Amino acid sequence: MAARQAIQVGTKTVRPVLSLNEAEARSRVLSLYKAWYRQIPYIVKDYDIPKSEEQCRAKLKELFLKNKDVKDVRVIDLLVIKGQMELRETVNIWKQKGHVMVYFKPTEEPKPKDFLSKFFSGQE
Amino acid sequence: MAAVNIVRSAVSGLLRKSTTIKTPVVCRLSTVALQQKFHTVKTIANLYNNNHIQNGVHRASRQYATGPVHKVTQQDIADRVMKVIKAYDKLTSVQLSLESHFIQDLGLDSLDHVEVIMAMEDEFGFEIPDGDAERLLRPKDIVQYICDKEDVFE
Repeated sequence: MAARQAIQVGTKTVRPVLSLNEAEARSRVLSLYKAWYRQIPYIVKDYDIPKSEEQCRAKLKELFLKNKDVKDVRVIDLLVIKGQMELRETVNIWKQKGHVMVYFKPTEEPKPKDFLSKFFSGQE
Repeated sequence: MAAVNIVRSAVSGLLRKSTTIKTPVVCRLSTVALQQKFHTVKTIANLYNNNHIQNGVHRASRQYATGPVHKVTQQDIADRVMKVIKAYDKLTSVQLSLESHFIQDLGLDSLDHVEVIMAMEDEFGFEIPDGDAERLLRPKDIVQYICDKEDVFE
């Protein structure tokens, strides 16, 4: 009795952003993935980026799997909307080569993890 | 039809018409000259052969099949589907059958499944909508779906 009331206190109903349930959100995610996947050959050609199609597809998969544990439907919807905005900018060539290369983090150096690398780079 | 007219006009420009019947002597060309002119006429005829121009683009002339026409069977489609699935890079070294489930048996995730369905769309040349695609979880289902769409039945 008290447990049930506690559970009811912990959740609340909110207004949806776009999808009403998980199935709808899932189908939105998969169609976004399909649209990006089909656009990859044209991205490689139009922007002339120094990456192959294989590497682009791997990066696409990685970026989608980064958010695979998100459970809140509204958060999923917002991520999909942001992905659609990025896709629109990429398709219409409003971006430039540098903006597309940002996905690959070309100038990021990996943070030192073991003791000696941290020592050399001045972090204790 | 047009080719014949062009040949006729090309020929008439090269060969001399025989003179009227009144004179007993008929002008003939020598054999060598005749052969050369014939060769030129044939080349002109081949050059303007319009059988192989489609919409202004030159293509090899169309040949119609003259044997038994190959009827597409369900086995053909199954072979094509298995070939595409084997070519998918995550599944090259895994033994597959028509009954193996993509997600449970072969260990793909939903994004890989979407990629496999997209490979099928590219192979067979028609769009598979997302509502249908999420139900196609075994190669057998894909074969059945494509046979329904392509009107191939036993």
